[in-house]
Amino acid sequence: MLLIQILANGVLLGGLYGLMALGMALVWGVLNVVNLAHGALIMLGGYVVYYLFTGFGIDPFLALPIAAVVMFVIGYLLQRFILNLIVRSAMLNTLLITFGLNVVITYLAQLLFSADFRTINPSYAGTNYNVFGITVPLVSLAAFVIAFALAGAVWFVLNRLSLGRAIRATAQNLTAARLYGVDPRGIYAVTFGIGAALAGVSGGLFGVLTHLTPYVGAALTAKSFVIAIIGGLSNPFNVILGGIVVGIAEQLASLYLGPTYIDVISFGLLVVILIVRPARSLRAA
Amino acid sequence: MKARTNLIIVLVGALLLAFVPFVASDVMMQFAINALILAVLAQSWNIIGGFTGYVSFGNSVFYGLGIYGTAIAMAQFHLPFGVGLVLGLVLAQICALVIGVPILRLRGPYFAIATLGLSAAMGALIANIDIAGSNIGLILPLVRADPMFYWLALVLLLACTLTVVWISHSRFGAGLVAIREDEDAAATMGVNTTLYKVIALMLSAAFTSVAGGIYAYWISFIDPASSFDPTLNVRMVIMAVFGGPGTVLGPLVGSFILSAVYEVLSSWISTAAALLFGIVIVLAVIFTPRGIADVIVGMRKSGLRYLTQNIRENRL
Repeated sequence: MLLIQILANGVLLGGLYGLMALGMALVWGVLNVVNLAHGALIMLGGYVVYYLFTGFGIDPFLALPIAAVVMFVIGYLLQRFILNLIVRSAMLNTLLITFGLNVVITYLAQLLFSADFRTINPSYAGTNYNVFGITVPLVSLAAFVIAFALAGAVWFVLNRLSLGRAIRATAQNLTAARLYGVDPRGIYAVTFGIGAALAGVSGGLFGVLTHLTPYVGAALTAKSFVIAIIGGLSNPFNVILGGIVVGIAEQLASLYLGPTYIDVISFGLLVVILIVRPARSLRAA
Repeated sequence: MKARTNLIIVLVGALLLAFVPFVASDVMMQFAINALILAVLAQSWNIIGGFTGYVSFGNSVFYGLGIYGTAIAMAQFHLPFGVGLVLGLVLAQICALVIGVPILRLRGPYFAIATLGLSAAMGALIANIDIAGSNIGLILPLVRADPMFYWLALVLLLACTLTVVWISHSRFGAGLVAIREDEDAAATMGVNTTLYKVIALMLSAAFTSVAGGIYAYWISFIDPASSFDPTLNVRMVIMAVFGGPGTVLGPLVGSFILSAVYEVLSSWISTAAALLFGIVIVLAVIFTPRGIADVIVGMRKSGLRYLTQNIRENRL
């Protein structure tokens, strides 16, 4: 029974992990930019929800769309006016500039929000359901459902809308897309904005499930990395699945080895997967 | 640059720096030792990242092993400092060999990410080992001998830089650069790429681990979080890249400038120092994407237009 409970926890947590990684995978696949500031954007989204909840009394789940819009605008502006300037330069430079942005966002957050722990704590935060003897917290379940719904939305946008066709065309061949009338500057900015919006939503959910500090970003970036690699960059649902794999692995590790081994497992898994399947292409098709 | 010019600059620079402990204040010495250790890290990263083109974000693994080798020998077994350094060095060499062979098969971003993962996993692993003090860390015998640590770090930096001078003018170095430019072509031309890459990683690991050992004895209290600090990886990469990767003097110039900038910022406005450091990184990448070394050449050729040229080349 304990094992099943642990597996259920891993799956529910994994959905949220997958959502965190989804924005990073999208940006990586389309722009070929590994965004080291992704975790910082997640953190920022969490604070947006926190202040909407504590300042204006808006229910955290209703605040998620607002956070998504705010983060979309921030992401759009970051890409349009900063990252677009160096996006064609070497991979190393994009890594460095996003790391720089990560530092800037983290310490701005520390100045603005203080370094205290913050928890988004609505009245129903402690509500649990009992399904066949397994405890399912309401908020975890909601986070899991939202993760899947947003993965579906991303899939729909990429595969069924002309915006998605333009994004995929830009990812495949920038020059050809330009010749067919796609404006890559706008597409890059919109894609990064969508990535930031997804990060913002996952940050709000993260704040409800655990707690926020300005420094959570780096660890979340690393986790998103691992999941994006496991899930690949081509299909949003695979990213969520990757998140579930990591969620389960972490829960099992903390049960059998102790909670201090969680990081050993998730990063060990990353290294092993990279070595075993090195040839796998990550670019979105 | 000619080998002799580089050699003269390096030797004269080292000679001048050797006199610093006679004139510097205690606070200055703290800064100087730190700056020298960071310069060693940037210069040894240069061997694997700058020359071979394998962007390692895992060099803090070797740094941490150097720290822990020294700390375990001195704190747990009461062995002398020299033995500790050798233990750290041996640990790092074994690690570089065992990990290097499979992981150096990965290319581009995959190598970078795998090494980042390694450094995170290694820190978490050490935190679970009792002899390494678990989560709490280890306390080394306290000595107050800043000049000694300064000269040790300087000698190490000199050794590391002389190795890089040799690399940049040897057949071995030419092989590394060939791997960086086109690995398949290098293999076709008869370069034993696996051997070259592993040796480059082991050289890089050797200097990094000794730097860790010196740091451990100097700072005298160590714990997993600070020894395997993932931001340290990024800092050494930034220092080397800011100065100019794949050059002899670039990483030195880059690390000294950035150390000084950070020091000035944190004494001037302590709360916003990290914030401004981040802004410096962002601006540096936008305006000088190929490092300070390239700025000097470019500015001489086309003046201030060099800066806008860079943006025009890399923007979308």
